[in-house]
Order: sequence, then C-alpha cells, then structure tokens
Amino acid sequence: MTPVLSCDRVSFAYGGRPVLRDVSCVVAPGEAVAVIGRNGAGKTTLTRLIAGLERAGTGTVWVGGRDAARHRADELARRVAVVFQHADQQLFARTVREDVAFGPRALGVPHRESAIRVAAALAELRLDDVAHEHPYDLPAPMRKLAALAGALALAPVLLVLDEPTAGLDRALRARVASVIRTRRAAGCAVLVVTHDIAFAAETLDRALVLDGGAVAFDGAIAELCRDPVRLRALGLREPPVAALSRTLDLPGRPVRIDDAAPIVAACCASGGLPYIGESHGQT
Amino acid sequence: MTLLGLERVSFWYPASDRPALRDVSLRVGRGEIVALVGNVGAGCSTLLSVAAGLAPRVTGGRLEGTVTFPGPGTTGEGRALLLPVPWTQLSGMGASVRDEVAFGPANLGWPLARIRAAAERAMAGAAVAHLADRDPLTLSGGELQRVMLAGVLAMEPALLLLDEPTAELDGDGAAALWALVRDEAGRGAAVIVATTDLDAVPVVAHRVVWLADGRVRADATPTTVFGDDAIWRDGPGGPTVAEVWRTAGLAPPWPVSVTMAARAR
Repeated sequence: MTPVLSCDRVSFAYGGRPVLRDVSCVVAPGEAVAVIGRNGAGKTTLTRLIAGLERAGTGTVWVGGRDAARHRADELARRVAVVFQHADQQLFARTVREDVAFGPRALGVPHRESAIRVAAALAELRLDDVAHEHPYDLPAPMRKLAALAGALALAPVLLVLDEPTAGLDRALRARVASVIRTRRAAGCAVLVVTHDIAFAAETLDRALVLDGGAVAFDGAIAELCRDPVRLRALGLREPPVAALSRTLDLPGRPVRIDDAAPIVAACCASGGLPYIGESHGQT
Repeated sequence: MTLLGLERVSFWYPASDRPALRDVSLRVGRGEIVALVGNVGAGCSTLLSVAAGLAPRVTGGRLEGTVTFPGPGTTGEGRALLLPVPWTQLSGMGASVRDEVAFGPANLGWPLARIRAAAERAMAGAAVAHLADRDPLTLSGGELQRVMLAGVLAMEPALLLLDEPTAELDGDGAAALWALVRDEAGRGAAVIVATTDLDAVPVVAHRVVWLADGRVRADATPTTVFGDDAIWRDGPGGPTVAEVWRTAGLAPPWPVSVTMAARAR
C-alpha cells in the first residue's frame, strides 16, 4: 500500500538554528501516530512541512505520493488537513457552519457534496447546536472542535492534529478520540502532535518521539509507556495507567484504562489491592 | 486566614441574560492551593477573572454579591492572573524576555533595583533565564507560557491565579510548574488554578472546587470530590487512577493518585 506520508531524511532550520535533523518516517493509511517530545523538539515544524507551509532544507516530505515542497499548500489541502494548536488562527467565517464549509468550497467541491460533508462533520463532533453561532462567541475548546470539523469536511487522507486535547474536558476529549477512531476505520491516517501522552496511550497505537529535532523512538506506544527510564530521558511524563501498572506490578502491565480495570477488579476481589469496594453495577 | 472571599457572587457578561457565575461563595486562604475544575463553559475562567478583579472592571458586565480581597490595594497589585493562551498575554512592550517579565513589576511603580531583582528571580524560578535576551515573539508555545508565568511571578502576587497553566507545556515543564505552584503556596501565596490536568490535581491541590453551569457543585478534598459519581456523570470526571477503579465497578472512595493506590497496600 502506498504510504500516506513518507519523510525521507528531512532536515530543516529556522535561520541558522536547526530544528529537524534527518527525520525519516512512513505512515500507512489507517495508522494513528502520536508525535511527542519536549517543547522545541520540532513537532510543530514537522506539521508545517507536511502541510506545505515550510519547505524541507534537505530531504523530502511525500504526502500521498506528492513532494510537499513542490506543491502549494492549497494543492496539498486535497490530501492533508491540519488543525493547528490555536484554532483561532484558522477560524474566520461568521458562523461555525460557514467556517466548516469554507474548505470544501475553496477546493471546488460541488455544493451538494459539500453540504453533505459539512452536515456530517458537524454531527460527528456534535456541533449542530452551535452551528449558527459566531465562532468567537464559543469557548476556546469548542472553537477547537469547530476547526476540527472544518478539517474533517476536507475528507483528507491524512489528518494532522496539533495538541487537539489541550484545554478540553473529558467529554470533549472523548469526541476527539471518537473522530480519530472513525477516520482510521475509513482508511484515513491520523498524526497527533501532543503532550497529552495519557490521551495518546488510550487512543493511538504508535509513537514517534522527536528529541532535539531527531527521531528518538518510533514504535508501539505501549512499549514506550512501559519504559519509565526511556520516558524520563525523553522528557516525557509516564502516563498514569502505566505508572499504576508498574507501581502495583499489575499482570501484563496494561497502559489503557479499559485494560487495567478488569485486572484491578480481579486483584481487589482476591484481596490483592487495598480499595476493596463492592461492585455497584457500574456500566 | 482568608485572603480572597467571594460571597454569593453572580456575574453576567455584557449583553448576556444568562449568568456565567451563579451565587458563588468561596474563601481561599494564604498558603492554600485550590483547583478549579468543571466542564467547558462551567465558569472557571470567569471565576478567575472575578478573583483577579478584571470582571467586571475590565470585561464589563454586571456583578452581584461581594468580593473581598484585603491585599495591598484592590486594583491589581497583589494578585495576578496567568491566561491560558500565552500570546494573548504578551504586553508587546518588551523587545526581550527580560523586558517582558519586568513589565508587570514596572507597572506597579517599584524602584528599578527591585524590578530588576524580581524579574531575574522570576525568570530563574520559571526556568527561562536562558531566554532572557530572546525576542518573545520568536519563542515556542511552551517557552512563551513559562515566560508569561515568570511575568506573573515577578509581581510577587499574594493571590496567584492560573488558567490552564500547563496547556502548552511538556512533561518536564508541567512537573516543574506544579512544583513551582507548591513553592509559591509555601511562601504564603494563595493559589487558584483552573486545570483540565486532573491527574495533577490530587498531587498539587489542597481543595477542589467543582463548578457546573456557574455554580459551585462541590468544594472539598480531592478524594471526596472525585469520589462522588456525579462528577463523572455530569462533570469533568477525575484522575485516571480513580477512573480505573470506577471502570472496574468498585465502590468509592477511589484512590486518586498512583501514590495513594500504592500506599494503602
């Protein structure tokens, strides 16, 4: 299968300051990859290269088989949709609905098709109730979801989300997680730049860790989460479920809530853990 | 000793019939760290604006009830608010990080030597001393958030108000921020922090205030507030460790941190 994204020995510098060094990675359709690393590791710069907003100094970024440096950002937008960290940078219409419709219209998507996509994106993020509102009348986290809806309406083959959960509460985070799952199932690749390693461990499978602009880890996120020494060396916080599993030495060392819960229940039932509580029929 | 007191405070933004805060009563004492949690739109940021004295003075709108803050002066000095999106807080007056951090203390009219000392101390505390000569506009999001924090700390506020202070920070940066919050409380500051980093809350905060639709739904210790199933059903949920216990179908009280889950063994 042709990769959706392929970075081939990509380097980039702002002025004389190197930001990315010899970065290579391949992302297949339907894959969900967390891009993590310290502040200043080069994560956001990588997204800008993928979106065609910057050009690699050396090396090549291939998006859907196209060299990102040889196509304008608006041409790449037919394949890749990026939601930036601060949604305010990409919302400008008078209503949420118009904003979501802007992308497909700019790409020349026929009106009927565009209307279907817009309705689907608003419904998927449960933004119907606020579709008529001005984006700036919404709280910042809702603006973030509005920008995400705009990206979904582009029907991209690669969805790039920069810090999609920052400032979001649990319910809104669940909406983002659900969107990632449904898009993956439809064959879209998702790249999530995030400091929220707990969200990444729950929702994504693979981690690409950047450190000092270079790839320091590329593999299963569960493997990374089970290695506290490596996490610390990379400036990453051990996600809570992984920390719990390690500290309580839970069998199988689960890193996701739904995997840890039955093990904790079993341990409590056998008197192996403190907080023994009666089951209260929680669903 | 109470530093900030809100007595039955309701607040309406201009041109809005729906109150953003409803009948909120809250006291925060020196040395105390209070975490403010709630769903999006629950009123956490508004409560911080009221506590900072910015609402309604700067935002406009209407406030009912009483806000008492017996700090030195009541028009800003002694309390400082860190906004969630750092570039919205840039003064635009500082060509360097050092100038930007000194902007707050300079506006308090302090003598030059005190301004300089406070700025240097705050930059060291927020781990941005190495950025002192950089142009703030060239910083990354995380760097800028720490610079804005330094600007807030430089004013040596008795009441420190933080809105999503870890939104832009990486793991190390977030850990350092929470350590700094405890230090500030240790020197006697009262701290109110609105955060969605619920895993940090039990480790950092003495008390949790849960806001829902502008009202205080709960005001108690982390174990009590996050041990109430209502906050998981109707509110922002709670720390991951508690979520594991809840998902396992176990009855509360749930452990709210890894340390707590391990300690009782």
